[in-house]
Amino acid sequence: MPDRKLDPVTLSVLASAFSGIAEEMGAVLIRGSYSSNIKERRDCSAALFDARGRMVAQAEHIPVHLGAMPEAVVAVMEKDPEPGDVFALNDPYSGGTHLPDITLVSPVSLDEEIVGYAVTRAHHSDVGGMSPGSMPSGSREIFQEGLIIPPVRLMQGGEYVGEILDLILANVRTPALRRGDLRAQIAANRIAETRLVELIERRSRDTVLAAFDEVIAYTERRTRGAIRELPDGRHSAEDVLEGDGITDDDIPIEASVEIRDDTMTIDFSGTSGAVAGNVNCPLAVTRSACYFALRVLLPGDVPANAGTYAPLDIRAPEGSLVKAGSPSAVVAGNVETSNRIADVVLAALSGFAPERIPAQGQGTMNNLIIGGSRDSGWTYYETIGGGQGASAKGPGPSGVHVGMSNTLNTPVEAFELEYPMRVERYELLYGSGGKGEHRGGDGIVRSVRVLEPATLSLLTDRRRHGPRGVAGGQPGEPGSNLLNEEELPSKTGRELEPGDVVTVRTPGGGGYGP
Amino acid sequence: MDDLRLGVDVGGTFTDLVALGGGDIITAKVPSTPLDQSEGVMNSVRTAEIEVRNVAAFAHGMTVATNALLERRGARTAIVTTEGFRDVLEIARQNRPSLYDLAIDRPPALVPRELRFTVRERMGPEGEIEALDEGSLEKAVAALKEAEVEAVAVCLLFAFAHPEHERRVGEVLRAELPDAHISLSSEVLPEFREYERFSTTAADAYLGPRLAAYLSNLGSEVEGAGMPEPLVMQSSGGVVELSTAASGAAACVLSGPAGGVVGAAYVAGKSGYRNLLTFDMGGTSSDVAPILEGEALTTTESTVAGVPIKLPMIDVHTVSAGGGSVAWVDAGGAPRVGPHSAGADPGPAAYGKGGEEPTVTDANLFLGYLQDGATLGGEVTLGRERTAEALERVGGEAGMDALKAALGVVQVANTEMVGALRVISVERGLDPREFALVAFGGAGPLHACSLAEELGMQTVLVPKGSGVLSALGLAVSDLRRDYVTPLLASLDDLDRKDLESTFGELEDRASEDLDSPEFHRRADLRYGGQSFELMVEADDAENLEDLAARFHDAHERRYGYRMDGEKVELVNLRLTATVSVEKPGLEESEPEADAERGRRKANFDGEWTEVPVMDRTRMGRGSEVEGPAVVEFAEATCVVRPGWRGRIDEVGTLILERENA
Repeated sequence: MPDRKLDPVTLSVLASAFSGIAEEMGAVLIRGSYSSNIKERRDCSAALFDARGRMVAQAEHIPVHLGAMPEAVVAVMEKDPEPGDVFALNDPYSGGTHLPDITLVSPVSLDEEIVGYAVTRAHHSDVGGMSPGSMPSGSREIFQEGLIIPPVRLMQGGEYVGEILDLILANVRTPALRRGDLRAQIAANRIAETRLVELIERRSRDTVLAAFDEVIAYTERRTRGAIRELPDGRHSAEDVLEGDGITDDDIPIEASVEIRDDTMTIDFSGTSGAVAGNVNCPLAVTRSACYFALRVLLPGDVPANAGTYAPLDIRAPEGSLVKAGSPSAVVAGNVETSNRIADVVLAALSGFAPERIPAQGQGTMNNLIIGGSRDSGWTYYETIGGGQGASAKGPGPSGVHVGMSNTLNTPVEAFELEYPMRVERYELLYGSGGKGEHRGGDGIVRSVRVLEPATLSLLTDRRRHGPRGVAGGQPGEPGSNLLNEEELPSKTGRELEPGDVVTVRTPGGGGYGP
Repeated sequence: MDDLRLGVDVGGTFTDLVALGGGDIITAKVPSTPLDQSEGVMNSVRTAEIEVRNVAAFAHGMTVATNALLERRGARTAIVTTEGFRDVLEIARQNRPSLYDLAIDRPPALVPRELRFTVRERMGPEGEIEALDEGSLEKAVAALKEAEVEAVAVCLLFAFAHPEHERRVGEVLRAELPDAHISLSSEVLPEFREYERFSTTAADAYLGPRLAAYLSNLGSEVEGAGMPEPLVMQSSGGVVELSTAASGAAACVLSGPAGGVVGAAYVAGKSGYRNLLTFDMGGTSSDVAPILEGEALTTTESTVAGVPIKLPMIDVHTVSAGGGSVAWVDAGGAPRVGPHSAGADPGPAAYGKGGEEPTVTDANLFLGYLQDGATLGGEVTLGRERTAEALERVGGEAGMDALKAALGVVQVANTEMVGALRVISVERGLDPREFALVAFGGAGPLHACSLAEELGMQTVLVPKGSGVLSALGLAVSDLRRDYVTPLLASLDDLDRKDLESTFGELEDRASEDLDSPEFHRRADLRYGGQSFELMVEADDAENLEDLAARFHDAHERRYGYRMDGEKVELVNLRLTATVSVEKPGLEESEPEADAERGRRKANFDGEWTEVPVMDRTRMGRGSEVEGPAVVEFAEATCVVRPGWRGRIDEVGTLILERENA
């Protein structure tokens, strides 16, 4: 085996040490954070990068975060980072995905030389903008969605840059929580540096840095091997997103996947142009969805890192829904459109390996955002699981996150201890999964009664078109949103009176087989 | 010998017995009897030829509850829960177990959909929101009767703080379903977060009938043989009376591994070591656990067989790397070990029983750590030739010869175990360099020196009875009961008196359950607004500031930072009540004249060296050994790597120290 500096054993030892570091970062972040969204729902991710900005290891948290992190590191590297710096950013047009996801990038240094980057990304439950929770349903440009943070130094020489922190906190509705959550992210980045330096002390700098290269090369070999096993050719698929929060019109997304030997090209020609509402995606989000789909085809033991991306070429028309430019609104692109992109790419991939791709899952995160009035200052954000698609292997799981998210729920008891709201119902919708030889998983119903005046945002999808079955299986039932008895559109906002009940019924998964 | 303390531990393969009394130790090892574990228990007593009338105490550790959970062979169990919240057990926390393998589901819920029943009622944070509707309760009772269930978990929202509705449901069910086992969430685990509480309660109900039947059968056999009623090991590392164990099955799921950890703490304590990491390596897996100041650390965050069980358990971490773990080369050319195990049949290639794949044991044999031609358990003979062929074949796939492959297999297996040891030390805020490693189990002492070097540890302890350490731990376990009560409040709003009176109530309860117990107070604290608590000692906290200070320290140790200005919140108060048992001493005899059994070639880091092979049974108090060497115990082999020096102490433990490191 050519060009290898390390023996296979040392490499395998170090690969597990790297993923151990990323896992520990994730644990520190979750444990140390303040807002329900991070501490209870774990809507956050952690990863370790090399000095060239390539991902070396990640903690397996939220797919849409992880695939989009490399852009953040690239954006920071352009700012000449120095040891002791911690950069913050959320600008979707400069390394971010959507504004609530604040990313902290810390150079990891040894003797004043940068040897890598520690990165954490967390969904902050408010970053300002036109509605509490910073997930407005009706935004038309990014400036309405919250404070835009280009890559800036939050810490310099190991000290807070107080003015930057002040600026951020002055623009958000829940500054105390933001301060605590940012501190937890900094602690997580710091633990990565401590651990990496310990590792270098034990194993030598050259060995560890060589292992960065080789771990990535290893994953690339495995990824190319898996692509090579698929037949050469081209397959296409299309699907729609149900409205952009401004109109209810279906928005087409099209992808064609071409495989030549050990490379894969995904082309989004034919996809709708960027829309007036907020379901647009910066390219980072689109890439993330493509990586996810490719990762589904890889054997489970392949470490996830930059090597996965090397054989993949992504082509998206400029100014399209999947490669929007500033100032397009994007807040729902990350949480809704990303799922549909993954669905479309998976559907195209099933042309190469039909038995390995399950029927469609719920294909939405069912984003439910409720914020208190101006003086009470609380914001609640939840994404709700639904049905997974059935596959040749068996029925689809019920009541889970299926695509680009994998957050936990907020326990009912934690929810009611924290918010002036009450959960009226939280259970499975038996029979909502599509019929077939193997049934699709069932969706969930979650009903929330507000006890004070509040503002509602809903960003959901698959309310008209149920998730498709495969191999003759039936589609899953579409979801629905209700305010008391009134049916609401898939993406909408409302003012709520005390006693109002918001009900979200999530889609069932598609069935497999006749 | 009279006043014997008996410990009997049932493992997957063997049932071990240790009897302690008058400085002596009697041991026995018999095959386990999986269909009825009590048979093996009684066989061990007969094999040890113990005078039953001399037995003063009998402690028992078993895997009945663990196995029932792993194999999903518990009772037919129903749940009664709040209307609108039928599926909490199935939804769990709504995350999927594998990010990218979309067909993998969570393990099935212990209670299937058709056995989930609801009642109309609702408690909230402040108390009753909707009264318990007796009509809905009657309907649920009728449905439960119809369903012919053996056990019912009663799990209502907010019952951790307001248990009145749950108690009423429990009262009715106990009257209407007199044969069913009833568990209430407010009794099993009065803590907030419904999924974890319901899950623990469901496990309690699911395991209760099986465990109670087993224990009552064992109880009458033991009593029939003229011995005292058995005490049963809990996951927490203490024993309880048989009736208590039978009524709290969820607290018994780590009954097996707990004995080993307690045994390690006891034996190492006799040698003067109180800060330890335990390392128990068997055929298919390895267990590691931290011991601080002589006491096994406990956690309330365990998940066993996919079921969260949030009761105090020893903080044991298990990885699937053992002597029988199979080595292979993956599609990218990287060497791997496990999780597949060759088991006892066909076993490692060296056994010559048809196993073709090299295992960790094969690598240890090839490197000269184990003896070519040695017989195990009088049945299997290790053959190095078969081992060499298997290593060569698999190594070839990664471009390695047999020697490189063997060194690689051992190193990859060690990496797994180093990772496990890091989880229970570094990730708990403990620096392994301040701990000694206690190695036991058949394969533990083979790998211990390497692991210690990798973690920067200076001392490895190999106890004399390392093959039966779990049974020894049982024989010396204290009686223990754990109590928890929620007390959600900011420390600023509390008075020292509030704390004192709540602890006082728990202590009164404990004094009813146990005979003059000693108390150990702890508190779960968090920064106001955070969601995860840390447990801190509350014994001699003179005031609430002490408690807060301890929390700040603990937070910094665990997460690397502290926030002295932030409010600290109390979440739970915990009380551990213990009654100490008499712990007999251990004595090591004088060595025999020459303990060197012979010499053989062994390989360390690529270099072949001729090393002495010592016979542990001929060594004794004061015997010394200098690495590189191999020490052969009755049921294990210890590798003393170059740079290590060992000495057997007064209680028979081989203490290995690393030189000038």
